[in-house]
Amino acid sequence: MNRNKTIIKTILLLLITVIVYYSVVPFFGDYDMNLEDLKPDANLNSKDLVYSYSLNELQSNSSFNGKIIEVTGKVKEVSSLNKRNTVILFGKTKQSGIICDIHPSQADKLKSIKINQEVTIKGICKGFLKDVILLNCYIDTKIDD
Amino acid sequence: MTKFLLLVLLSFFVVDVTSAQNNFIARQGQISFFSYASVENIEAQNNQVLSILDISNQKIAVSMLMRAFVFKKDLMYEHFNESYIESDIYPKATFEGDIIDFDSNATNQIKIIEGDLNIHGITKKAAIKATITKNENAYLITGEFIVLVKDFDIKIPPVLTSNIAKSITLKFTFQYQPYEE
Repeated sequence: MNRNKTIIKTILLLLITVIVYYSVVPFFGDYDMNLEDLKPDANLNSKDLVYSYSLNELQSNSSFNGKIIEVTGKVKEVSSLNKRNTVILFGKTKQSGIICDIHPSQADKLKSIKINQEVTIKGICKGFLKDVILLNCYIDTKIDD
Repeated sequence: MTKFLLLVLLSFFVVDVTSAQNNFIARQGQISFFSYASVENIEAQNNQVLSILDISNQKIAVSMLMRAFVFKKDLMYEHFNESYIESDIYPKATFEGDIIDFDSNATNQIKIIEGDLNIHGITKKAAIKATITKNENAYLITGEFIVLVKDFDIKIPPVLTSNIAKSITLKFTFQYQPYEE
């Protein structure tokens, strides 16, 4: 009887430990996560994403903000301003595009990226100023390598 | 007639170039903040701050997404956006101001920028000292200023008051390029 109680207590303790670990520990983890293996919530063309925000920012915020978005578009600029690696994709007009802040693990891939090359980039959408902002971006170089 | 048309086209071109040279844009401005706290110092950086500089009217405008601040820990990010800044309700912070006695030709100058700072839906007057450097056809504006948390109606639970400083130091760097509209 006592043995059974001990087993049940041990299982409960293990269960609680696992639940606490998976619900609390992520909050104390590094914010700088890599999205490489995560499935995107939406796939879009870069021009369509920018157009959506310029048409209705509020609605686009509720659709895309905080979500993992995969965009395909042509490279307008590659920048290392502020010691950050950034790829800017063309939008529908000259004034607006997508600013993709690249995850440090992707730095090597940047070397092979050329202006006007079509790339697919996955990142967390943060909203829209004059450009759509994507952070923690992962580059898929399989397209147009 | 042909000469007249050419003159009209040329004048449009001149007006367009002049207008373009009056406006400068920084799409990847940087704002960072630092808050000293007894448990753990809190710092974050936003590298995608938008700013437009109008040198003819000596005006500057800044807009940033609060959710674009990057923290070291997820928990800090969650607290900042969900509890303090309420980013879903107030997703952006803005500043619009005038650069007092700005000389658009000076290569290096320290000026006061006076204007309205809006954070968490509250607008306050601010006077910010900034260093402005001109390099060929580009401008660099840097500086820092202090924001008082209570000025912007940011509510901190009593249990956490010892963890959050009453004032926060903000640093900014904007590299402006000519803005082609």
